[in-house]
Amino acid sequence: MRILLIFIFISLPVNALMKKAEKIYNSGLNAEKSRVISYELSKSRYYFSSAIFAKEYLVRNGSIDIDFEQHLENLILKTGTLTFSQLNESTLKKYKTPSLKFVLGLKQFNKKEIYKAINTLNKFPKNHRFSPESFFILGSSYAQLGKRQLSKNAYDTCIETSTELEGQAENVKLKRYFAIIKETCLIHFARVLFKLNKFIEAKNIYQNIPKTSYRWPYLLLERAWNSYKIEDYNRSLGQLVTYKSPLLKSYFLPEVQYLTALNYYKLCLYDDSLTKIDQYYKVYKPQSEALKNFLIKHKNSHTYFLELMLSPIKEHESLNPYIRNMMTQTRKKIKFNLDLVNYKKAKNEFKYLKKMNNRSALIKVLTAEVYRTISQRTRYLNHYVKKGMFDFVNDIHRFSFEMFNIKLEIMSNKRDLIYKNKKLISNRSRGSWENVQRDDTQHLYDFRGEFWADELGDYSFGLKSNCKTVKKKWEEKDA
Amino acid sequence: MPKLLIILAFLLLVINTHAKGKKNVIVKYKQYEKFDLGNLEIKGKVIAPGDLSVLERKRKVFSRDLFERMNFDDKIKNDIKNLR
Repeated sequence: MRILLIFIFISLPVNALMKKAEKIYNSGLNAEKSRVISYELSKSRYYFSSAIFAKEYLVRNGSIDIDFEQHLENLILKTGTLTFSQLNESTLKKYKTPSLKFVLGLKQFNKKEIYKAINTLNKFPKNHRFSPESFFILGSSYAQLGKRQLSKNAYDTCIETSTELEGQAENVKLKRYFAIIKETCLIHFARVLFKLNKFIEAKNIYQNIPKTSYRWPYLLLERAWNSYKIEDYNRSLGQLVTYKSPLLKSYFLPEVQYLTALNYYKLCLYDDSLTKIDQYYKVYKPQSEALKNFLIKHKNSHTYFLELMLSPIKEHESLNPYIRNMMTQTRKKIKFNLDLVNYKKAKNEFKYLKKMNNRSALIKVLTAEVYRTISQRTRYLNHYVKKGMFDFVNDIHRFSFEMFNIKLEIMSNKRDLIYKNKKLISNRSRGSWENVQRDDTQHLYDFRGEFWADELGDYSFGLKSNCKTVKKKWEEKDA
Repeated sequence: MPKLLIILAFLLLVINTHAKGKKNVIVKYKQYEKFDLGNLEIKGKVIAPGDLSVLERKRKVFSRDLFERMNFDDKIKNDIKNLR
């Protein structure tokens, strides 16, 4: 009874606001009226409906005030950037407001118009709600052009503004969101340094990302590449072996297997490398075939993959383990989560609009438009999940080819050794403390077959390079 | 003008005479010739060693281009796509 009373209490003013919007709509539409209707619908919490009239206002009008800017900011937060990125660039360019600049900059970056994105975002205010994201895009744009100092400045501002907003956020999820942006900006700067061959500097930045971060498991691979570049193959192998820990079971990346084989190759431990390559073919080939068949079966569906994501986990038990793991990974992605929340909101709004007894012209238009938005987003989300899975299959094939190249190279090196009547110094060199390189921030413990959470990512192998060759003795040759 | 006519007439006469003097020349090549290499004598100083020799050079090693990450640009782009 109490719930019913609360519902009636909330719904009464909502209906009144809707009535007001209807009245304005029926009196004929112009820019100003679109603006008022957008406000009214937003007050009734019909955000997707409100966005329709906000866009109408932006197309018809030429300038917006602070009030409307705040209204736009709210609508972007509630419905996502996708709503407004559908507007023409010329419409978005008409307004110099931060919210639309952010939408435009993002759109330009995704269209690979890097210079335009820089031009749009380079004077973005530091105190806006979208400052972290905008400086993040700006830093990445400069990074694409290899401009180290400018990208560093932008990433620094991104870190500064996201830290500030993280502190101000009351909601735990929002706090986490800003923390992730802050860490991503830090990671991106490490990537800039990597691109510029500043591997030691990059290593120090990577170390600043806490192990509790959502981004951390993915970073292990990047850190391993960084160690590889400074020729610390043992450290690289240690970082990669972390993926074998039970905690990181759902993270499986073909590139990890490739880099492991490459590290062994660089240490001239050819047999270890070949074992890794054979393992890759044995494990990944049947799995990738199964995954490929599954994907091809549903590749033309615009809903299947999203429905799969939305269905209860119990229903996935019969699926390929890779698919289940991929679904777990996708569920953890911020983009997917935010889009999914917005998608559910749109569906909810549609449900309320459809239920309305009064089928006025405005309600009919809103119902049709929100339905269109839902269809678009269903396709969009479905494509997002599907693309992730297809990318994974492509990665398996790509690294299978690269693995084959390592195999050929090993065979060629082995043949050359025979021609030169030489052999590697030992058949299989094993570990020793002497071969572990470490700096003063890295501790030394021995591994006893158990992965401890606080040690994850800090492992190093102690393998001696086997690249030294010696002349073969006559007796060995005869044998 | 008369001089020019005389010169032209002279030139025509010369060309005509030359054309008449051309005969069909048949060139015949030797069908067989024997060389006695052992009997051949080369005059001059011997500057190369008597035996045949091949200069040793380092064997060219063709190595495959194994994939190495040069940047994480693809990941940067992906992060932006995953932004909001």
